[in-house]
Amino acid sequence: MQDKNDFTRNKRFSFKQIAAKLNFSSLTSALLAILLGLIFGFFVMLFAMPANALAGFRYIAFGGFSRLGDVFYFATPILMTGLSVGFAFKMGLFNIGASGQYTMGMFFALYAGFMWDLPNGIHWIAAVLAGMVGGMLWGFIPGFFKALLNVNEVITSIMFNYIGMYLVDMWVRGSSTMYNSTITRTNYLPQSAQIPSLGITGSNVNYGIVLAILIGIILHIVLQKTTFGYELKATGYNKHAAEYAGMKGKTNIIITMMIAGALSGLGGAFMILAPSGIPGSSMTYEPVNIIAANGFNGIAVALLGNSNPIGIIFSALFISHLQRGGTLTNLVGYKPEIIDVVIAIIIYFSAFAMIMNAAIGEFIKKRIKKTDSDIIEDTTEELNVTDASNNNSKEAE
Amino acid sequence: MEKYIIEMINITKVFPGIVANDNITLRLKKGEIHALLGENGAGKSTLMSVLFGLYQPDGGEIRKNGEVVHINNPNDANDLGIGMVHQHFKLVEIFTVLDNIILGVEPSKMGFIQKKEAREKVLKLSEKYGLKIDPDAVIEDITVGMQQRVEILKMLYRENEILIFDEPTAVLTPQEISELLQTMRNFANEGKSILFITHKLNEIMAVADRCTVLRKGKLVGTVDVKDTTKEELSRMMVGRDVSFRVEKKEKKPGEVVLSVRNLSVPSKTHKKDAVKNVSFDIRSGEIVCIAGIDGNGQTELVGAITGLEKASGGRIFLNGKDITKATIRKRSIEGISHIPEDRHKHGLVLDYKLEENLVLQRYWQPEFQSKGFIKFDAVRKYANKLIDKFDIRSGQGPITIARSMSGGNQQKAIIAREIDKKHDLLVAVQPTRGLDVGAIEYVHKQLVETRDAGKAVLLVSFELDEVMNVSDRILVMYEGEIVGDLDPKKVTVQELGLYMSGAKRDQLKEINDAG
Amino acid sequence: MKKLLGIALAIALIAVSLAGCSGSSSGHEIILITDKGNIDDKSFNQGSWEGVVEFAKREGISHTYIKPEDDTNDGYLAAIDLAVQGGAKVIVTPGFLFEVPVYEAQQKYPDVKFILLDGAPHPADDFTPDIRDNVASILYAEEESGYLAGYAAVMDGMRNLGFMGGMAVPAVQAFGYGYLQGAEDAAKELGLPDGSIKVIYHYTGNFEENDTNKATASTMYQEGVEVIFACGGSVGKSVMSAAAEAGAKVIGVDVDQRYDSETVITSATKGLAPSVISVLESIYKTDSWEQYGGKTTYFNAENDGVGLPTTVIGDENADAFDRFESFTMEDYEKVFGRLKNGEISVTRSINVADPSGNATAEELTSQLNLKKVVVTTR
Repeated sequence: MQDKNDFTRNKRFSFKQIAAKLNFSSLTSALLAILLGLIFGFFVMLFAMPANALAGFRYIAFGGFSRLGDVFYFATPILMTGLSVGFAFKMGLFNIGASGQYTMGMFFALYAGFMWDLPNGIHWIAAVLAGMVGGMLWGFIPGFFKALLNVNEVITSIMFNYIGMYLVDMWVRGSSTMYNSTITRTNYLPQSAQIPSLGITGSNVNYGIVLAILIGIILHIVLQKTTFGYELKATGYNKHAAEYAGMKGKTNIIITMMIAGALSGLGGAFMILAPSGIPGSSMTYEPVNIIAANGFNGIAVALLGNSNPIGIIFSALFISHLQRGGTLTNLVGYKPEIIDVVIAIIIYFSAFAMIMNAAIGEFIKKRIKKTDSDIIEDTTEELNVTDASNNNSKEAE
Repeated sequence: MEKYIIEMINITKVFPGIVANDNITLRLKKGEIHALLGENGAGKSTLMSVLFGLYQPDGGEIRKNGEVVHINNPNDANDLGIGMVHQHFKLVEIFTVLDNIILGVEPSKMGFIQKKEAREKVLKLSEKYGLKIDPDAVIEDITVGMQQRVEILKMLYRENEILIFDEPTAVLTPQEISELLQTMRNFANEGKSILFITHKLNEIMAVADRCTVLRKGKLVGTVDVKDTTKEELSRMMVGRDVSFRVEKKEKKPGEVVLSVRNLSVPSKTHKKDAVKNVSFDIRSGEIVCIAGIDGNGQTELVGAITGLEKASGGRIFLNGKDITKATIRKRSIEGISHIPEDRHKHGLVLDYKLEENLVLQRYWQPEFQSKGFIKFDAVRKYANKLIDKFDIRSGQGPITIARSMSGGNQQKAIIAREIDKKHDLLVAVQPTRGLDVGAIEYVHKQLVETRDAGKAVLLVSFELDEVMNVSDRILVMYEGEIVGDLDPKKVTVQELGLYMSGAKRDQLKEINDAG
Repeated sequence: MKKLLGIALAIALIAVSLAGCSGSSSGHEIILITDKGNIDDKSFNQGSWEGVVEFAKREGISHTYIKPEDDTNDGYLAAIDLAVQGGAKVIVTPGFLFEVPVYEAQQKYPDVKFILLDGAPHPADDFTPDIRDNVASILYAEEESGYLAGYAAVMDGMRNLGFMGGMAVPAVQAFGYGYLQGAEDAAKELGLPDGSIKVIYHYTGNFEENDTNKATASTMYQEGVEVIFACGGSVGKSVMSAAAEAGAKVIGVDVDQRYDSETVITSATKGLAPSVISVLESIYKTDSWEQYGGKTTYFNAENDGVGLPTTVIGDENADAFDRFESFTMEDYEKVFGRLKNGEISVTRSINVADPSGNATAEELTSQLNLKKVVVTTR
């Protein structure tokens, strides 16, 4: 059938393939992407205010380390919405409705916080769970329409962003228990409804981030280890093959959107139930008919994290880190608007570079290995050719 | 010394870990059809890509009419009069035929496209070479055969005189193939030179003047076709003798496994039923082949049996159980295995690892799953078993991403999965499409073994050789109906062709007594 | 791989070392913290920031502003922390949203001076003000400003007035109540019969520029309203575009909005910039912080803290009342004088049953003692 030495050749080649693949492992490409983003960000800062660019850049790049508590605190909601978007994306669904689910989750948490009289230690848990249910409900609707009527989830969920937001604002304003018209925002939540703080001075960081990271890890396990994750990813990669294999596509769509909604809803709950460092105070919500930005930030987080739950944990922390550092650049005279631009550029270039990592990897490989030889091709090509060389079959492509 | 229009001399092309072309010399005469034969991975496509400017060779040179030329990109190739019909067409799906043909070389005055001129030129070419097209049809609406004619017209429109055809017949029906071969002949007679990449020996014997054979990146030799035989060519290509006959014992039909009664299936493209009131039985221990020209309802029939499509009337029984309305999963459990027509669309999750693909039908069974968690060590073990048993080759074994595997091995993986799964009926749709002779031999052997193991096999094929050689019974489908129930031992290929084209039909014995 | 990581690390190290040797932050002495929205909100942030800039530029004092990361008490407090970290000696906090954060900060940073505009510090769970010595709490008599606007409109000959407030918060309410009282008094002065002035009174429920608000304003104009007092941040922009289409008039709020639109005849302003400057002067120039520190100071007509604009920026000779038909600077100064010397007193608040703060027509009429003015709420 086959030459004897074919086998050994095969072995040797596969080592090379593995090496080639590892060469641009996702970690390295992520680091490179971030580095590239930072460099671009630095140029913008240089352009905006040359004299303080270095000092400002130092804050952006490293300032977050001096405010780790806040980095984690502000990462919590975007981590949840990022997980929400990323998880749905694994199934090939674009959950642009994270914002509405987030708002709905926040409202349910608020409702539980104000209306339910529960003992300390249970109240906040109940409120968090209520938030989860609220988001789940708001994720279910687009999922249901997608599965049963084949309505594109993007359209439904965008609409439900608005529907959710206006409903919540109406409900909040209509309740004198929840709404305080003199400050045009919600009243202060009772202490029992606030998530216990992690006790880091000068920061509101709380058990929300611990739960969020845990949830990220659980999602990772679900995706990698369970039959549900297997089906979900299969559907995302190739829904025809999933159908052929007898997977319940419609049910899975609904379940996925419900989970995605629940994740966003938890994000909203974690945000509103965060403990206040000021006695008697709490987080507040201002019903001003604006769609929650954290929902959309989740898209950037998911993109940067490559839709991988573990990646999303890091990308949420990274973005929060940049933002915290960015705020510090106020100290050297950068205006908040410039900082927003710089951060957006860093995130954009990082995400862009992540997507382009194959191309960039190749580019850098070429530059570095120029002397080695000129046998550079992209990895898949290489795999194809090598593979093809040692089998007796005919390629289809 | 003869005049060559193109000479590729001592071409070497190295990819990491593999020498794709090792010192290969190919000379193309003016006005000849020169076949380039080789198994998958032999280096045919690489060599042609070098000629077309897609790759730069690491060694060797290319000459045109004796002069050394450098082809850095497809535009250079085009300037030298080299055109190529790719295996996968490079057409803009939403453009019309005419727009595609003139794409990139639009005749224009002051920035406005002069379509009228172009149309006249295209229609003239189309008439001259008998390449029937509708210039205003949109690509995504026309048949694959017509798309190919568009690709050919693209080359003619650019007045190329060296035409490369990369596996042009892989996607065509028998009729279209013979038309294409005739067209190629006409081109050659007109003085155009043709490079014809293929692995189908019949076509080479039918049309080529000379044939260059490659194996594993090396040149085996160039022969005159009239002085050689199919057997010799295949020996050159594979490096050993290949049997073109399928060895099999007499069939021993047993119980009825699948019975289809008055089945109708709606069409997705038109309002009429694609399958009309069809009834037949398949027994264990026999291979029943659905023959027919593509588009006569085979896909819909198989869809209804496997559950991918809904029947509009009639019933389907598997081992006596009515499965007409059963889910795909249920049918799979009841014993249907399915080698799908399109292995990339249905058969595999290309971004999954090989091992994950091997349990695509079974991941939920207790063997591989406990409490919702997949038992990955069991999966790995099972994958290794199948890899050994079915000789599936890949770069990294069970953890190879399916996408990076060759077509033949992807097909082997699907076959392994479907045959190893507990089943009574194997539905195999074009299981050898796009495979080379070695792999085809392998697939046929597997089908026969499955039959001999007492399973029923339903084979759908458009290849007459395969229909005649592999099947125990032939059902011919024409316009959604079964027009013949034939015994391959008693029917000739010519006769079969008449059934397939609708020129002949039997009054089949009625089996409408739905059970 | 190693090579690559090495390079990445090297670049990172260079970046760090470069950053490390750059100069330390210079620090800013006066820092303003925006409440929500931006520094160019044509309202509170902008008004007070203009005061900061004017004074600081004149005196050559370093100054900047900070946008909080979060619109919550904690977010504002964090911004104050950052400002202190950035070297702030004086922190200007425009808006009542800073009441709780400043209450916390005044104890945390006893050496930093706070100028809290439009509010008085109090704990989160108790509305009793608790003002430390390092805080100057500045409140404005919005009702007087509103009074002047209503008075001017009726004196100018208008009989159909409109009021579009944002949300029914105390400041907005006070503007509205003053507006009604001013209209009533002008009608009395003109000797008009009872019920001769019609006012449509409306809270939009938001501070946004949006189509709903514009449609509401358009409807009012179609119903014959001659001028709308647009009293709620960006609501004004919606009203102005409706007015431009209807060829009608608008009265602006907080800061002089005549520059935003031709339709703005005048604005019921708070002297944000002047009050900020007054307090800053007490710190830097006259060394009389105790004049403001530790207590609430009302800026009203008496100390020129509220009023209609009397000058046009960039043109000393221009008439700020040129967009009125007949109402003049003289008329204005007369009525302003009466406010100043306490001849007129304007009611600031009334009892409202609705939790959202939206008063009914009945509540307005009876408690504000309206006779000439007929109010319709919507």
